[in-house]
Amino acid sequence: MPNSVGKRFKPTKYIPVSTAATLLVGSTTLFFVFTCPWLTKAISPAVPLYNGIVFLFVLANFSMATFMDPGVFPRADEDEDKDDDFRAPLYKNVEIKGIQVRMKWCATCHFYRPPRCSHCSVCDNCVEEFDHHCPWVNNCIGRRNYRYFFLFLLSLSVHMMGVFSFGLLFILHHLERLSALHTTVTLVVMCVTGLFFIPVMGLTGFHMVLVARGRTTNEQVTGKFRGGVNPFTRGCCGNVKHVLCSPLAPRYISDPKKKLPITLKPPFLRPDLSNRHVSVKVSDNGIHSSILRSKSKTSLDGVDDKSIDTQPPLPPKADRYNQLKSQLTSSEGKGHDYRSEPNLDMPDYRSTPLHRTYQSSPFQLDSFSTTSRSFSLKQGVNGADQMPLGGSKPETVTSTPHKGVFSPGTLSGRNGSLSYDSLLTPSVTLSVGECAAHPGVPSMGFHSPYLPTKMCHVRGPELQRHIGPPSYSPVHVGAMYGRQSPLSRDRDPSPVRYDNLSKTIMASIQERKELEEREKLMHRHAQAYANDSGVFDTCSGAAYGLPPGPRGPGSREPTPPVCGSRDNLMGVGVVGYAPRTPVLRSSASSLSRAPRTSTTSLHTDAGGVSRTAERQYRSPVRQTHHSPTAVPRSPTYTHQKVAFISALERADSPHLGTRYDT
Amino acid sequence: MATEFHNLQELRHSASLATKVFIQRDYRDSTICKFQTKFPAELDSRIERSLFEETLKTLNCYYAEAEKIGGQSYLEGCLACATAYIIFLCMETRYEKILKKISMYIQEQNEKIYAPRGLLLTDPIERGMRVIEISIFEDSGSTSSSSSGSSPSSSTAQ
Repeated sequence: MPNSVGKRFKPTKYIPVSTAATLLVGSTTLFFVFTCPWLTKAISPAVPLYNGIVFLFVLANFSMATFMDPGVFPRADEDEDKDDDFRAPLYKNVEIKGIQVRMKWCATCHFYRPPRCSHCSVCDNCVEEFDHHCPWVNNCIGRRNYRYFFLFLLSLSVHMMGVFSFGLLFILHHLERLSALHTTVTLVVMCVTGLFFIPVMGLTGFHMVLVARGRTTNEQVTGKFRGGVNPFTRGCCGNVKHVLCSPLAPRYISDPKKKLPITLKPPFLRPDLSNRHVSVKVSDNGIHSSILRSKSKTSLDGVDDKSIDTQPPLPPKADRYNQLKSQLTSSEGKGHDYRSEPNLDMPDYRSTPLHRTYQSSPFQLDSFSTTSRSFSLKQGVNGADQMPLGGSKPETVTSTPHKGVFSPGTLSGRNGSLSYDSLLTPSVTLSVGECAAHPGVPSMGFHSPYLPTKMCHVRGPELQRHIGPPSYSPVHVGAMYGRQSPLSRDRDPSPVRYDNLSKTIMASIQERKELEEREKLMHRHAQAYANDSGVFDTCSGAAYGLPPGPRGPGSREPTPPVCGSRDNLMGVGVVGYAPRTPVLRSSASSLSRAPRTSTTSLHTDAGGVSRTAERQYRSPVRQTHHSPTAVPRSPTYTHQKVAFISALERADSPHLGTRYDT
Repeated sequence: MATEFHNLQELRHSASLATKVFIQRDYRDSTICKFQTKFPAELDSRIERSLFEETLKTLNCYYAEAEKIGGQSYLEGCLACATAYIIFLCMETRYEKILKKISMYIQEQNEKIYAPRGLLLTDPIERGMRVIEISIFEDSGSTSSSSSGSSPSSSTAQ
């Protein structure tokens, strides 16, 4: 017999089953041949019939017990036991009807054995509801074939009893002819039957008790429930019913059926994740504003540091931004075009209210500055009316995105112009949908009048995070300018790329560039601000070096060329407070509508100044007079930061032009 | 050209098996076949909880019905006994019938619910009724076929 590699052929294991089979069939056959004819004649033909049926029953159950799968568990796949193999405990507890039962890890089959399951070493399989391995049938007795085994035992006992009884009857009637063939054979059959009668009956009785108790041989022999309660019992009747009447359990090890293939086609559906974004947004709001607020008041010396310090908070925000971004990207199938737009766009907008960005500036704007903002904004807007020169374009640019970005209410602000208040509180009015609704019209378009494009470049990652809001605020422009100088050395490549910008942005950038060039030339000759603001004196040399010139009798020492915008900024801011020059008056008049309630608060002033600076920045676009340059500084304007920043701005002004080139 | 079209068809997102989740048996009611209905964390972002629980509940119902000891199972046993179990060669048992129903149900669930979400249920009978295996697939991005002729077409497709 060939020996296979996997399993060795062991003839010895077939000896018991062969013996049992031989004995059973042989004995019964002999009985039928030698004993039954006389019994048929002497007693009744029913005797062989009865014996025949019983023998048939025995055979059937014997066959089922021998050949039926007892409930073998297939080996577990590798994937299933990946976590279990190395670190898994040997036992796992599971509660069954309130009783803790241990499930042992089977190293061969790679799973935790279900309750009542045991591994048969002869078969090398885990068997469900393992009873024992029966050598007489050469098979494990388990869940599936226990009934047949039990019935086999019962029927074999009955059959043996029958054979023995009828044989005895025959012998008793043929005592005088004991050496005759028939009698001898019957005698041998009776001996065999008698010999195996005790073990078989004993086993039958044993299993009858087990069935009544609802235990397996394994459990009984190992003494699992010796002192305790058997969680698997269903009561005597229930247990009997379970053994005899339960449906035939399924085979686990079966031929692989041909299943219909299922195609998996990405992209896959995902459950709605919208709620997560909301939560991210909320946390982002709360945390960030507090961080930025703390940076509000700084000394002049510290401004530089602060402007740098404002960066550390940014990374967390950037992370949130990125997180939000990634979440949005993954969950929203909307157009993400706006992401390719320069930073100033919607995602930021969504995540940060305008407030925050304002606060991030060293100018420390707060609510008071609102009025001045709107003040300056209005000026700009009005100026646009007056000065269609180039103004119309940015205006159109601004207005269009406004619709998308701001609710119509904001557009029809206090005086029909953009209200900064609404800009400052966009979180209610703005929505993701709105933002995303205008991917093609980036907020950059709106920002352009206020924000020099180079700022985008300069601030780079900063800008990316703060962009939406800052661009709306001239203050922020100032801030950006302010920050620019310390950053000028280490400018990160801006995420804003000119190639990303839309045409409108490009146009406004171009305009701005031209304006700045022009202003530079003009302001070079302008006098410095005539101010009593010692602030400027205290500033670094480059502080308010507003170039003298049309700005009026600024007694300032000549300063490095200042970006016209700065002058404008100063000028307008001062105008807001104390128009001192005719030049200013003109601009002041244009600002008349704006409440001059810009208080004496330093912050306000700063805000006003910075805002007006932006306005000023724009104003040359719209107004023929670049006059505000000569605006004397308000005495109340002592905010050092502003001054310093202005100075910085000026210092940077030469760079502005170059920036564009890059 | 035909090759290009063929390659274009292959230029689609393909799914790759990311991980598997195993739903274990619930043994609280002894050894009757029942699976835990606890929603695994790995599926949290992949499928709605209600859908999953619905599937599990239906499966548990099927198994409970299959293992029910009642008139039908008794008659079946008697008949089998009477025919010396030859009946098993001709007829399938009640349990087997329900298993087939379960298999069809799982197939249907896979097609309608789980496959669109990148999941795949495995019939527990293949795992010895010990676990329900749920395979989680990820979108591995668009793939281009390996043939060199595909590169121009891949660029156009993308």
